[in-house]
Amino acid sequence: MTKSNQHLGASFRDPSGFLFLRNGLLYRQINHIYHENYQTLMDSGLYEELVHKHLLIPHEEVVLEAAESQQAYKIIQPELLQFISYPYEWCFSQLKDAALATLKIQKIAFNYRLSLKDCSAFNIQFHHGQPLLIDTLSFEIYQEGEPWVAYRQFCQHFLAPLALMAFRDVRLSALIRVHIDGIPLDLASHLLPIRTWFNFGLLSHIHLHAISQKRYADKTVDKSTITRRMSSTAFLGLVDSLETAVRGLRLKIQKTEWEDYYQEAHSYTSDGLQHKLQLVGEYIDRIQPNSLWDLGANVGLFSRLASDRGITTLSFDVDQNAVEQNYLASKEEGAADLLPLILDLTNPSPNLGWHNNERMSLFDRSSPDAVLALALVHHLAISNNVPLEWLADFFSSLGPWLVIELVPKSDPQVGRLLATREDIFPKYTQEGFELAFRERFDIQDATQIRDSERILYLMKKREDF
Amino acid sequence: MNFLHLSSEIAARMNLISVLLRHNMAYLDPGSGSYLLQLLIAGLLGSLFVVKASWGRIKTFFRRLFSRRDNDSSDEE
Repeated sequence: MTKSNQHLGASFRDPSGFLFLRNGLLYRQINHIYHENYQTLMDSGLYEELVHKHLLIPHEEVVLEAAESQQAYKIIQPELLQFISYPYEWCFSQLKDAALATLKIQKIAFNYRLSLKDCSAFNIQFHHGQPLLIDTLSFEIYQEGEPWVAYRQFCQHFLAPLALMAFRDVRLSALIRVHIDGIPLDLASHLLPIRTWFNFGLLSHIHLHAISQKRYADKTVDKSTITRRMSSTAFLGLVDSLETAVRGLRLKIQKTEWEDYYQEAHSYTSDGLQHKLQLVGEYIDRIQPNSLWDLGANVGLFSRLASDRGITTLSFDVDQNAVEQNYLASKEEGAADLLPLILDLTNPSPNLGWHNNERMSLFDRSSPDAVLALALVHHLAISNNVPLEWLADFFSSLGPWLVIELVPKSDPQVGRLLATREDIFPKYTQEGFELAFRERFDIQDATQIRDSERILYLMKKREDF
Repeated sequence: MNFLHLSSEIAARMNLISVLLRHNMAYLDPGSGSYLLQLLIAGLLGSLFVVKASWGRIKTFFRRLFSRRDNDSSDEE
């Protein structure tokens, strides 16, 4: 591989082909070994149907010098995504929709005698608000009689985390970060409550599946001695059974302190809230960003000021339920420029996988033109003791523009945070805040929100530091 | 060995090779436990699927059966 081609860190397991970058553009090389499957996908009509239904990323065949020319059959250029997100950053319904999309693709593929040969949750991405498959080389010609090769991966990547989130605790999605090839079924089985043994889908696909895996773990199975076959009806029955199991999973809604906050009753008068919305809207119009990150977005009230203007917007929050509400609302609205995601700013997802090079840390993936940090700073500076200079440093590393709200100590929210602890924050004042941020930013505007002590700032990163 | 026999032999072997090659595309380890579980519950899943798919027809069949019975009994009055 020459220096001019950068082989993507996660694209190495499949001999069918791989992704690479050349001159900053993304391409996929298809190897000779895969050509029959690829042509069947393209010629049978499956490609058209899936693209039409927004279930597969469209691509174009290009004439290009291959990255590894000995094995190369064709090079394709897939349509670019607005942002790469990972399953451990998704809320429950995003993961559920990704699972259902995978099964839908499998059912449609079956009509063309094709089948998915893998079911990694990392093969699904949200594009214009909808989940779709980005791995064009995931299909293989269906062999009647053979069980589904991707069944294990589907159960580990999708069914197990969804079941854990629905039956135990929604925060267990974090396990996907630790087990990047899906949650081991014996772990899921141990963590799930007894009542899941009375759910047919979970009994078969998680509990019995885990037992079967353990039983045959160190035994070599000689396929040639097995006379039993899996008919195509049974194959479809398996997919149908998984779909029923996934559809039946629902979250028990958990209330946290954040949800109450954004009922908008507590922190602002209705006049104040309208004022804040108007100000943020004006700032966004001034900046004219192509992309925007709303940090601590809660249910995305302010994120929508950007996404409604057609700006590619990522709406981050640490609270799973807030992100869930945000996502469900965006689905109903058909919001194509908004992607809600889970993010703990005090512990963002790092580089993961082989050589820590398969899944990138959030800040390495892309950077926005503008950042919203509304009603956020006090949670970082007070609850998390992050010095204001470090906050300024952090925000300036993200992008050129910042809209940030200072919530002073006189505000009841901060009063609540300091209620049971010592006030060790002498610099947390308007002067201290502005001094710290002037190290990295030019303060272009500062306006106090009506009926409130909170101040909204528009800042631009300094060129000269 | 005549030409026809030889060519059909070659075709059969090439078919076998292409089947084997196709299987090698599935780089993923399906897992022996997962593989065997599917074979074990295949029959059950298949039957459930058939019943589910024909559920509409089954319901209509029983509905018609009972409505015919009602018609017969009302004719006698």
